[in-house]
Amino acid sequence: MNADLRNNKDFWAGAMLIATGLAAVLIARDYPFGSAFRMGPGFFPSVLGGVLALFGIVLVARGLRSSEKIVGGWSLRALIVLPLSFVLFGALMDHAGFVPALAVLIFGSAAGGSEFKFGEIALLTLVLTALSVAIFIWGLSLPYPLLVGF
Amino acid sequence: MDLLNNLIFGFSVALSLQNLAYCFIGVSVGTLIGVLPGIGPLATIAMLLPLTYNVGPVGALIMLAGIYYGAQYGGSTTAILVNLPGETSSVVTCIDGYQMARQGRAGPALAIAAIGSFFAGTVGTLLIALFGPPLADFALKFGAPEYFSLMLMGLVAAAVLAEGDMIRSLTMVGMGLLLGIVGSDVNTGIPRFSFGITELTDGIGFVVVAVGVFAVGEIINNLGDPTERQVFTSAIKSLMPTREDFKASIGPILRGTGIGAFFGVLPGTGPAVASLSSYMLEKRIAADPSRFGHGAIEGVAGPESANNADAQCKFIPMLTLGLPASGVMALMLGALTIHGIQPGPEVMTLRPELFWGLIASMWIGNLMLVVLNLPMVGIWVRILKVPYRFLFPAIMAFSAIGIYSVSNSAFDVYLAALFAVVGFLWVKLGFNPAPMLLGFVLGPMLEEHLRRAMLMSGGDASVFVKRPISLVFIIATVLILLALVVPAIRKRRDSVASS
Amino acid sequence: MRSLLLKAAAILLALSTAAFAQDYPNRPVRLIIPFPPGGSNDVVGRVMATALSEALGKQVVVDNRSGAGGVIGTEVAANSPPDGYTILVISIAHAVNPWLYKLNYDPIKSFVPVGIMASGTNVLVVNPELPVKSVKELIDLAKKEPGKLQYASAGIGSFQHLGGELFKLEAGVDLLHVPFKGGGPSMIDIIGGHTKVMFSSLVQTTPHIKSGKLRALGTGGATRSPVLPDVPTIAEAGVPTYQAINWWGILAPVGTPQPIIDKLHAALTKVQNSPETQKQLSTEGASVMQMSSAEFGKFMQAEMTRWERVVKEGKIKAE
Repeated sequence: MNADLRNNKDFWAGAMLIATGLAAVLIARDYPFGSAFRMGPGFFPSVLGGVLALFGIVLVARGLRSSEKIVGGWSLRALIVLPLSFVLFGALMDHAGFVPALAVLIFGSAAGGSEFKFGEIALLTLVLTALSVAIFIWGLSLPYPLLVGF
Repeated sequence: MDLLNNLIFGFSVALSLQNLAYCFIGVSVGTLIGVLPGIGPLATIAMLLPLTYNVGPVGALIMLAGIYYGAQYGGSTTAILVNLPGETSSVVTCIDGYQMARQGRAGPALAIAAIGSFFAGTVGTLLIALFGPPLADFALKFGAPEYFSLMLMGLVAAAVLAEGDMIRSLTMVGMGLLLGIVGSDVNTGIPRFSFGITELTDGIGFVVVAVGVFAVGEIINNLGDPTERQVFTSAIKSLMPTREDFKASIGPILRGTGIGAFFGVLPGTGPAVASLSSYMLEKRIAADPSRFGHGAIEGVAGPESANNADAQCKFIPMLTLGLPASGVMALMLGALTIHGIQPGPEVMTLRPELFWGLIASMWIGNLMLVVLNLPMVGIWVRILKVPYRFLFPAIMAFSAIGIYSVSNSAFDVYLAALFAVVGFLWVKLGFNPAPMLLGFVLGPMLEEHLRRAMLMSGGDASVFVKRPISLVFIIATVLILLALVVPAIRKRRDSVASS
Repeated sequence: MRSLLLKAAAILLALSTAAFAQDYPNRPVRLIIPFPPGGSNDVVGRVMATALSEALGKQVVVDNRSGAGGVIGTEVAANSPPDGYTILVISIAHAVNPWLYKLNYDPIKSFVPVGIMASGTNVLVVNPELPVKSVKELIDLAKKEPGKLQYASAGIGSFQHLGGELFKLEAGVDLLHVPFKGGGPSMIDIIGGHTKVMFSSLVQTTPHIKSGKLRALGTGGATRSPVLPDVPTIAEAGVPTYQAINWWGILAPVGTPQPIIDKLHAALTKVQNSPETQKQLSTEGASVMQMSSAEFGKFMQAEMTRWERVVKEGKIKAE
């Protein structure tokens, strides 16, 4: 029995599975289950959720016996900043236009890296944005306003 | 010989200066949009269609077709270089192609992808010319039961992907199945797992998952592990495949071409099925399956050939029967009708210049593509020398634009951000996301055909063994199962007996 | 005093919008097509977009916002500024969606009708293996084995599905609905002979009728289709009350100034009268349809009522 579960790979993988599987089963309860021969829309997801949860239990059990650690470093900064810049891109595309959305995305995600230098990245943003406008808006004529209202 | 005469006639049409130019424009545009994720042939062809009103039907079709198969070439490029699938079908190429790039072998991977695609394209073109009509008739024999049995065989065969940590691999297949469920149920229209979000009623887009999990997830991973990334940039070895590479690739290219042609003829199989199947087969028959996922050139050569053969053969139902196997083919039919040509079997006899000219142009286009792509390998590989701190924001930008452009939806971009985090967590928790794609691609088709077959048979499951083609697949499925299970049982029995 | 101010304000406003309309359009106009590229909505929409660009003198840019049977793109249009720079292509789906989905817009009140573009009927086809040569024979066969005969459609709530459910109601027969994911797959299935009946849109079906792969029993319009003059209408062939027509029109978000609507309507009419547009539409099995903006509004209302009954009595909506 291993007391320290914080870094236990199998334990956390199993826990994630159990949660996912149970959630699937719970949600699928709202859909008609049907029978094996007249399957309703709830049949497939319920069975699948159950199987996933079962796999989860096996993994948790394995995690309690072994103690394989989660390997490699990871950057909390990248994990937050990169998805966030995607979200900003989406919102700005709808409300501000192609150029601001892209500029924020490029600058923002560059800030998620560890070797961030302001001047360098500003230049990169400028070049990449100009390049993208040339390829996507002028070249492929995607129907996006460069800046909303213009 | 009739065929020879027809082909000569076809080449005389395709080799006119004007048609050569249309072909070249088509394949160049195709390569470009192929490289870019998200932006695919469908949207591009829809956009260019009005421009072809003034071009003759032959030129128009030659150009539009070039865009379509050209995109299949381009799709592998970013998959190999930066784990960013340019087209749906090239996501399989990410698995080993990207690993090859990490080992400094991006050049051979890109080159073999182009060479395999060229071979597959040539065979595909020949198949259309030789057996177009009978192949199309064969495809029409496939109804819901046949498709179900075929997909079932595929999924069972996929158990080979599940070597190593069996539970983890199966889990990922299950996750893919679960993601595939999201969206409206085909039979009842009930939206499942859509949480009342309108954008989810049509399901989760393949590009969203693939780009989120593979491309962006990989960036998050790399940024956390800068040491691994340096290995990647330091050693770029030769640009061209070695003799050993070629030797290893011949078999996969041949088999991949066969598989791709088979699935290409069947209109009911979506993209990525052919390349996934080819990958699974190569892994199954390899002497050392554990090399797969760690930069096996067979894992690039097979699937890349398969997806090009698939793309080429998708023309068969369209050209010989006037039936669209996909949205792109529906647009091509539209291009024909706009010029007053009724698509159908008569096109071959009434408009031979169109039919044979297009076929000849496809081969010429494939030749252009390989000539265009091989020298590009050197340029592409140089991209890897760009410092990562510049490269990854660019990947982010192209990914985001690509995802957004699929249905001009900000929601898709939000969803991809979520999948990036999920993909990162999966990898950290020891899961390999590749088998997830299998479930995601096959699952919805499996369920759709199963439930349609049951609906049409009035709930009688014997339909799967009563129809001959379906029966063949069912028998094959059982054999595969036995081949997987029997050795395991025997091993267990032996170990019990010896103890 | 106050009323005078109000009046002045109103005059100013009217003047400014008039000036605005005179200037309109001074930048590209976005035409939202709430369906993916390749379908009939997209084809008709793009034909019109190209022609409208010429008539308006500014580019009309197609913006495909597909999803949820057209609901997503329609919602985007409803929430766009009513300045004439965002307009929307709609089809019969617009009159059906209120009964299938929970909408965040009002199909009538959130928009101003610009005009109807074109219409096309459906056609009842069977695989030639099925031993029926007329609508009457089909009804007899269906009555012999209720619920056995199967018809294919492009999906729940699609034009093909509605045409089938309407037929069931009007002819008093029971057919089993087999939904597919889109018109292409269902067409392939019926030509392969797996399902035998389909209420298909004339557009994609004509070539297969002409090549003999499918047998046409009747068309869904009020009069025979010029494309298939030998095929009776379903109404004359035995189901007098049957009529199923797909149509495409243009809407603008509510609040779009009337002068702009008028300008758009005039451009639309001009486009519709050009022989080139008519030819392009006819190859798609559609023909030009003209109404005033107000008439189009009433037409939409009538279509909504007609399909409400089919959706409700045919129990198309699951749950």
